Amino acid sequence: MTKRIRYPLLLCLQLVTATLVLLPFFWMFSVSLKPATEPFAIPAQLWPDNPTLENYILALRPEFQRYFLNSVIVCGATLLITIPLALLAAYSLSRFQFRLLSVFLGAVVLAQFFPAGAMIIPLYKIVRSANLLNTYLGLIIAYITVTLPVAIWMLRGFLLKVPKTLEEAAAVDGASPLRAFFDIVVPLARPGIIATSVFVLIVTWQEFLFALSFTSSKEMRTLPVGMNDYIGQYGIRYGELMASSVMISLPVIAIFFFLQRQFVAGLTAGAVKG
Amino acid sequence: MAPVTLNSITKRWGTFVAVDSISLDIADGEFLVLLGPSGCGKSTTMRMVAGLDEPTSGEVLIGGKVVNDLPPGARDLAMVFQNYGLYPHMTIAQNIGYPLKVARVPKAERERRVREAAERVELAGLLDRKPSALSGGQRQRVALARAIVRTPQLFLMDEPLSNLDAKLRVSMRAQLKHLQRELGTTTIYVTHDQVEAMTMADRVAVMRDGRLQQVGAPLEIYNRPANAFVAGFLGNPSMNLIEVDVSDGRVRHPRFSIEARDVRLSGPAILGQRPEDMSVVNSGEGDFDGEVYTAELLGDSVLVTTRLGDELIAVKADKSISVSMGEKVGFRFGRSALHFFSRETGERIGE
Ligand SMILES: Nc1ncnc2c1ncn2[C@@H]1O[C@H](COP(=O)(O)OP(=O)(O)O)[C@@H](O)[C@H]1O
Ligand SMILES: [Mg+2]
Repeated sequence: MTKRIRYPLLLCLQLVTATLVLLPFFWMFSVSLKPATEPFAIPAQLWPDNPTLENYILALRPEFQRYFLNSVIVCGATLLITIPLALLAAYSLSRFQFRLLSVFLGAVVLAQFFPAGAMIIPLYKIVRSANLLNTYLGLIIAYITVTLPVAIWMLRGFLLKVPKTLEEAAAVDGASPLRAFFDIVVPLARPGIIATSVFVLIVTWQEFLFALSFTSSKEMRTLPVGMNDYIGQYGIRYGELMASSVMISLPVIAIFFFLQRQFVAGLTAGAVKG
Repeated sequence: MAPVTLNSITKRWGTFVAVDSISLDIADGEFLVLLGPSGCGKSTTMRMVAGLDEPTSGEVLIGGKVVNDLPPGARDLAMVFQNYGLYPHMTIAQNIGYPLKVARVPKAERERRVREAAERVELAGLLDRKPSALSGGQRQRVALARAIVRTPQLFLMDEPLSNLDAKLRVSMRAQLKHLQRELGTTTIYVTHDQVEAMTMADRVAVMRDGRLQQVGAPLEIYNRPANAFVAGFLGNPSMNLIEVDVSDGRVRHPRFSIEARDVRLSGPAILGQRPEDMSVVNSGEGDFDGEVYTAELLGDSVLVTTRLGDELIAVKADKSISVSMGEKVGFRFGRSALHFFSRETGERIGE
């Protein structure tokens, strides 16, 4: 194929792909702006006749704020615990050889093939017997079981790329191993740390199943579970549901937007070396 | 400033012996070059001195004190790595100042000493840049500045010039040597380049397969190589080594037979002679005749080679000589500079 045919063809393909991916988001946004009477008007309208923000105002109930706070606490804590632990673990896995290394790394990958549904009952039993049902800590621990192995695996790929000579240079310069770790290794692994953090945030921020199973009271719910409020026995309040969906997506989109270069670079780097 | 002693240090990786029982005394302020082909254990030896690798057995002494159990940072030495080992996320000033920062030197003094070290290696204008914005030669000088900023007892340099182009290498060689003289700091310098070793060293220690072959001043090693390996390794073009039989004061070879009256050995041997000690003469007037295989103009001389058995023999002749390929000429050994080595062990024999 010549360039002249190939270029427009690729462009068309990209447009189709982009449309397929973005259409649900567009629909979400569009519905969130429709007045309560409009969502199911027939024929369906791509854009509301009378866009309004009333859904957003309705959606920003005190409960929503509570859910938001819960999500921030659970996700933030998961992140703040996962990253340092993963960093130290990945560091030792990247610097020291031991016999079970490949077994461990294989197990991490293998664990990703298990659907969350398969893990939920044993995890539930563990959380319950630790008396941590319906607490932040219970949910955080459950999340860490998912995020930590993947974070270790990702970070190890980055740490392998930090040349050993630099740590040796630091050792000769008088730095202790821990000091060299913080002064040299951590700054150089920053893109990887950012990529891994974004990954952890995305996974936890949208998590539904664990959050639903391990919390029972309304006060402990996170955003994805809280959205259930709009799905009632007698109907679904689509406008508010979509408005809160938009608000839930915004932080993730914003983070991704600001860090996308490092994130993409990070993912590929981790992929090659992992 | 401190003397360094290696007390039969050995390093094994599994069953592979990388460094085999090396003993060496390095005087205070001496510039010692560890020379040998790639893979012979030079870096490993240096890393054991630095404390980056632990000897399997043996002792390392710095300033008369056994340092085997001290971490690198506590040995008061500085090291220049082959790939420079600069911290890419730090500026040049931060790179140079890092050892001082770790040692908690107050900021003002740190800045002063960084500036002094940078000036010493002509880097003063580049202090705010990152290593990635520097050329190879400049990076090399940053690594040097980081080494001298602390005024340690001992410098270790592992092939510090090998990543530079030929011209820069020559000028850095001179600068480095000058700097070392000026500071008077004991230095161990690793290289596989015999020219570097010859030009910079107070003493050279030649290694092969983890073993020390010979230690001595460059000229001493050049003039009296302890074995055939050292003889062939030092000097460019390298020494001619010819299998001969010695008996009754004569050196015999299918193509020649020369008198060597003061040689008190007999039996099979290896005859060694440096290209500059041989000469090209008219056909029939030398020790043997041969066809010119190549004649290369080196600038100050002409390198003439000829086949002798399976070997190519090289002769450094005066540049005024004019011979052409295929021409038949005579070759003559310089009688005063014949070397003999055992055919079994390669060790030097005679005199
Ligand atoms: N960490 C290691 N594990 C196994 N073998 C090694 C290790 N480091 C070096 N070696 C081996 O030891 C020998 C000497 O290496 P080195 O000291 O780096 O040689 P040189 O610096 O003279 O080129 C080489 O054959 C090398 O492959
Ligand atoms: Mg080496």
